[in-house]
Amino acid sequence: MRRASLPLVAALLLTGLALTSPVAALEVGQKAPDFTLAAPGGKQVKLSDLTAKGPVVIFTFIQAFTGT
Amino acid sequence: MSADHIATLDGWTKQNKINYLLLSDFRRTMLPAYDALVTDEKSPIYRYAKRAYYVIDKNGVVRWIKVEANPLDLLDPAEVLKALKESGV
Repeated sequence: MRRASLPLVAALLLTGLALTSPVAALEVGQKAPDFTLAAPGGKQVKLSDLTAKGPVVIFTFIQAFTGT
Repeated sequence: MSADHIATLDGWTKQNKINYLLLSDFRRTMLPAYDALVTDEKSPIYRYAKRAYYVIDKNGVVRWIKVEANPLDLLDPAEVLKALKESGV
């Protein structure tokens, strides 16, 4: 019983590690993952629609109405 | 772009008369894909955007990335402009 549960515990641990591993970092030269996000006014904006018009600078920040 | 709700960004845009495009990733779909989501193991609700910058060319290829370890480290806009010019986009 004890021996039989060891592989199960190991499998659960490995699954947990896989689920908590960080996402592979995006690198220069890679295709930017496309996305569609909401903009003020209710408009949906797609990255590929923006890049079709020219280069795009994306800037992410932690929270509006704060110093960050 | 931030993880704020769109209503928050709407209000912020109006209050500050922001004239550039603000986008809401409230569902955290884009931020993890760009390695720009910061979390805290002690708090499952702590899921905010890092301060990060990306230059994407017209073919959708990443040409420059700068992810700040500290969200208070704001880049000089001239540095971003320089990166934009040097990336040849």
